[in-house]
This record gives sequence, C-alpha cells and structure tokens, in this order.
Amino acid sequence: MKKLPLAVVGLLGTVAMSAALSACGGYEPADDEVVIGSVHPLTGALAGQGEMMHEGAQLAVADLNAAGGIESLDGDRLVLRDGDSKGTADAGQIEAQRLVSEGAVALIGTYQSDVTANVSAVAERNRVPLVIDVAVDDVILEQGYEHTFRIQPNASNMGRGGAVALAELSAANGKPVKTVSYLHIEGAFGQSVYDAFTEEAEKQGIEVVSEVTYPATNFTDATTQVREALAAKPDVVAVTGYYPDSLLIAQAIRALGGDVDAVYGVANGGFDDSAFPADSGPAGADLLSANYHYAATDDRAQDIRARFEAEYGRTMETSAMLAYQAVVVIARGLEETGSKDPEELRDAIAELEIDDPLLEFGGPIAFDETGENENASVTVMQIRDGRVEQVFPDEFKTADIVYPVGR
Amino acid sequence: MTEPTITGTASPAPPDPGGTRRASEAAVPLGVVAAVLVAIVLVYAVGQRSNELVTQSVVTGLLLGGVYALVSVGLTLIFGVLGIVNFAQGAMLTLAMYLVYEMTTSGGIPVYVATLLAVPVMFLFGVVVQAALLNKLTLAGSHEGPLLVTLGLSLLIINVLLMIFGGRPLRVPGSVDGSIDIFGAVASYERLIAFGGALLVSAALLLFLRRTSFGMSIRAVSANSEGAALVGVDVRRIYALTFGIGAACVAVAGGLMAPFLSLTPTVGEQFTILAFVIVVLGGLGSVTGALLGGLIIGLVQTVGALYFPGTGSLILVFAVFVLVLFFRPEGIIKAAS
Repeated sequence: MKKLPLAVVGLLGTVAMSAALSACGGYEPADDEVVIGSVHPLTGALAGQGEMMHEGAQLAVADLNAAGGIESLDGDRLVLRDGDSKGTADAGQIEAQRLVSEGAVALIGTYQSDVTANVSAVAERNRVPLVIDVAVDDVILEQGYEHTFRIQPNASNMGRGGAVALAELSAANGKPVKTVSYLHIEGAFGQSVYDAFTEEAEKQGIEVVSEVTYPATNFTDATTQVREALAAKPDVVAVTGYYPDSLLIAQAIRALGGDVDAVYGVANGGFDDSAFPADSGPAGADLLSANYHYAATDDRAQDIRARFEAEYGRTMETSAMLAYQAVVVIARGLEETGSKDPEELRDAIAELEIDDPLLEFGGPIAFDETGENENASVTVMQIRDGRVEQVFPDEFKTADIVYPVGR
Repeated sequence: MTEPTITGTASPAPPDPGGTRRASEAAVPLGVVAAVLVAIVLVYAVGQRSNELVTQSVVTGLLLGGVYALVSVGLTLIFGVLGIVNFAQGAMLTLAMYLVYEMTTSGGIPVYVATLLAVPVMFLFGVVVQAALLNKLTLAGSHEGPLLVTLGLSLLIINVLLMIFGGRPLRVPGSVDGSIDIFGAVASYERLIAFGGALLVSAALLLFLRRTSFGMSIRAVSANSEGAALVGVDVRRIYALTFGIGAACVAVAGGLMAPFLSLTPTVGEQFTILAFVIVVLGGLGSVTGALLGGLIIGLVQTVGALYFPGTGSLILVFAVFVLVLFFRPEGIIKAAS
C-alpha cells in the first residue's frame, strides 16, 4: 500500500505547484492596455468549439488594435486573456474570478449555459460586465443581474422564432404544416427550446404530436428514437441537439425513409455547421435549420470569415462570429465611455445601439433592461448542394428554399 | 459453457470441452439469456408499444451491444490476466479511431482496410505501454499504481489528440452506405458489419485462448503467475502481449465504429463506464461474459428507452447492474476461483 500515498502526494504536489505557478504568473496590464477576459472550454469534450470561439475573439482584438485601438482612450490597445472553463461550471467560475483579479474590465463567454450562469454570478459580484457570446438558457438573465448582456437570441426566443418561421415558410410554399414530431436532447437547452416551440406552434395552428427525448451522453444510435418520432406520421420532424447527435438523427431519418415534408432544426447545433453537409452526405440534403446565424448577406462578415480561415486554417462558424461580435460590443462600449472603469463600461454597453451587427438579426444590437438583445432573431438555413444557405426570411436569402423536401 | 475464464488465482483453466464446470454454474448464463428473452416477449405482448418499434429497438440494441462487447472484451482480458483496471480503455478506443481517420483521409485507405492496419499498431502500442509503464507495478502486485498510470495515460491520449486534431467533430469518410430490413427493423450495413466483426473477434479470441499454446500460457499466468514462471513462462512477456491484445480489441472496435460516430478526442470516454459495467456484469475476466453482458446492456439501453426516454435508459442500465451485483456479485459467468 506504499504506492498509493506516494502517487497521491505526487498528484497533490503537481496540482499545488500548478496552482502556485498560475497564481505567480498573474497578469499585470500595462497603462496603455485594456484587458478583456475570455472564458471558453479550451479542453474537454467541447474544446473544438471553445478554441474556435477564442480565436474569433482574438481576431476581433487584432482587427480593433490594427485600426488604432480605443480612440477615446488615446489609442489604448485591447488585450485578450484566455480562461479555460474545461467545460465545467466551477472551472469557468474560477477562471472568470482569476481574469477579473488580473485586471479584466469585461468578460466574454462561455458557450455553455451552466458555465455562463456561474460566470455571470462572478461578473455581478465583481461589478464587471459580461457579454455572452453563446449561451442559450433563459434563466441566466432572469436573475435580475445588471452586468450580463446576451447578443444571441435566448432559448425561448429561438423556440418561438422557429415555430413562427416554420408556419410562415410552409404556408408560403403552399403546404402549411399541421403536425410536428419533436426530437430533443435532454437538459435545459433541449427542454426550454422545445417548450417555447410547442407553445408558439399551437398559436400558429401547428400541433406537436410527439416529443421524444434522448440522453446527452452514451447516445450512439438514434434509430429507435427516430422511429418513435416518425410513428406519429408528422408533416415535419423538428430536432434540437448538438452536432454528433444531430448527425445520428439525420442518418437515421434517411435510413428509415421518413416520409415527411421536412426535417427542421430548431436552435440546432449541427444542421447549420459548415462541416455538416459533407459529414452527413445524402442524409443532410435539404435539411432546414432555424437558428441565429452570421450575416451571410453582409460583406463585412464575409470578409471576417475569409480572414479567419486564412489565419487559423478552418471555417469560422457562427459561434466564433458571436465571440468576435462580443469583443466589438465591449470595444464600442469603451469607445463611448472613454473610461476603463468596469462600472462605467457596463452603463455604456447598456446604452449601446450597434447598427451593423455581424449576425443576421432583424435590427441593431441593443440590450433591454434584462440584458437581452432586443433585436436578436432566428434565420432559417437549408443545406443546398452541400452548402449551408440562408433561405428565410426573404431579406436574408442567399438561396431559394426547397419546400416540401419530400423525404 | 467451457469457456476459459481468465481471472483466477488457484485452479487451472478447464481442461476440455465439456469439462469440469458444475452444471449449476453453466445454467446461470442460460438462465440469463432466457430471462432476457422472456422480458422481450413481455414487451411485445403487454408493452403497449407498436411491434415495429419494439423490433427496431431490439435490433438496434443487439447491434449496439455487439460493439459494447468488443470494447469490454479487451478490458476483461486485461483485468483477468493482469489485474489492471484499465482506465485508458476508452482513450485507446479513441486513439484507434483517429488512427483509422488519419489513414482514410490522408492515406486514402478504405476504412475497413485501415481498421486491419490499425490492429497491429494498437497491439504494439499496448505492448509498449505495458512493458514500459506498467510491468514493474503489475509485478509488484500493486493495484492502485496501474490504475493511476492508466488514468494518466487516458488524459495524455485525449489531450494529445486534442492538440493535433482539435476538438471539432471529425468524420471518417467513405464506408458502406445503405441499410437492410430485419423483420421490419432497419439496420445500416455499417452497424451490421460492426456487429459481425465484434462477434468474429470475440470468437477468435476465445479460440486463441483455448486452442493455442500461447493462449495456454496466458491462462496459466492468469491462474498462477508464479507457478507459470517456475515452469518457464516469461510472465513479463505474457503481460505485455496480453495488454497488446486488449489494445488490439479496441482497435477493431474503434475502426468498426468510426464510420457511424463523430470523432472527438473524448468520444471513447462514454464507453469506458459502460465497459466496466459490462465486464462486472458478465463476470470479471470472462470473455463470454463480456460478450453476453454487452448484448444485454445494449438491449436494456435501447428497449428501456421506449419506456424511460433520455437519461432514463442509462439509469435502467445501472439499476440492472446494481441488481445483478446484489444477487450475483460474481457476475453472470463466474470466474474460476
């Protein structure tokens, strides 16, 4: 039994040492620097997303600095400091606290709702503004927090928007949807989007005839769940989930030959990802997806995406564009207030109106009293000829919609 | 049931087919199979679900279970012979999947050929890991040493993969598209191939352990490593090769699963816990037990999902696990002891 204590001591020693090192290595911002803290999952299962979002923020900082920094602060440079949430709420909270103590005047993050909930508590306690790039859960901003702002639509906004868009686009194409079977991942994300969708759908005259849930872990075959959803013979199958599970579902629908008008993602983390068409092959053809989306009709957004790809060698997904946008929100706030005081920055962000959003929203970015972007809205995408195109509403169209898809 | 269970400290493996195992021991696996069949019939008869849906869930469950079994077979072998609780099994599975991914995308090698190529590579990897990192600890009889080492190895593999490939889901291209109808249930060719491969490898492993002199050495070391050493068996070598075989098993599992799973550096992790459940359920050290356990867990998960959707099906898996532990702690197939 000698080995265990020794190994444990070694392990504890390493942990203590790395803790000490990170404490010693605390960052001291220079006078001409403004520090923004970025908390994302840089390791763990979501590391791919987290890394890309961090790079999106990095690109924004580089662009803003190249354009002369913050003018009202005499050209002070922005500095992005990263924190690794490891995908867990407590790690995210610790990192947020560290970044604030190292002089971050604002935070961005975090991709996950539960992590964001903890980070927003840190922001509130320290009176430092947090601009959420991606995190969907309504509850985060229902705490009465004054320092947290969200750019993207929240879960119920997306659920509602998804239902409205489905009713409108199906009616416009001469085949109004009557019934929907809904597949969603378990947990706050899937449930809240589902609830909002169902409520709005009923108002639109659409009945949700079946709700099938699946687990967030150990989900490696969707055939049974899809079969159950198809058993109700719906007009449309709606899906809310992440990338791997959405891929399994798309494949199962194809294998089962589901005879539906369309497969329709709602706040779906897979269907409008630029890798999805290639990964899903024929199973992905003509899939629809109602989600927030980078502004594919906007030249500036296109330019940012092109430079992102040149810089980091991969496609810039919408989540990274949101991280970019979050940095821009903070920079505009700094520009307005001309102060590095987080409290004054918070007030400036609350008053902002950004007319040139990089996301396909129905209006400028402006925050209501709860911190939600009051003009955040969903766009409907469709996989057409191996590409994700915007198809609805008409003002954001990059390709014509195919509906019904006839699967 | 004359399968040589690998765990054990005292008695040697059964000498012959139809050998010495008591009838009551052999009856347990048959009883379990009968119980599963009865449960499925009950689901059909009074389950209040359409037959179509039940058939689909049974087919899906069996196909899934075959792959679970393959991951578990390697785990049970390593535990049976070396007494190592290999926490890196899931990460090694992931490593194999990325190997196959790399060969198919960069090398343009068809996925099933790449799987065959991955087997010797993973085998070597396993041999090296055991020889370089674990042999000393295993020979010293330490249990927690290897446990911590494999845990560390798992973290290392995951993070190196993350560093090289990034965390975005990747996809192994070009396998067999399409599916067939089994009694009204749909099964994709990819999953059928994975199932067939799993059965084939398990059977081959059993034959290998029973019929070859090398398999005999493995069983001898498992039964009594000191005794085996006295009669001239190189225990270190057997340890290294056994770990290698365990790794080769996940290479097959990884390659067969790669066509239908999205690859992320943590994709294999979800199988680790289930594999442990399966191995304990089947009887620690028993290859047949792992196979049986895998199929049962697959069925429980998917048929259970009809009544306990979402995480409920996993809770059901653990409930079955706890029940089995309570009534038969040695697992379905009792290891020779």
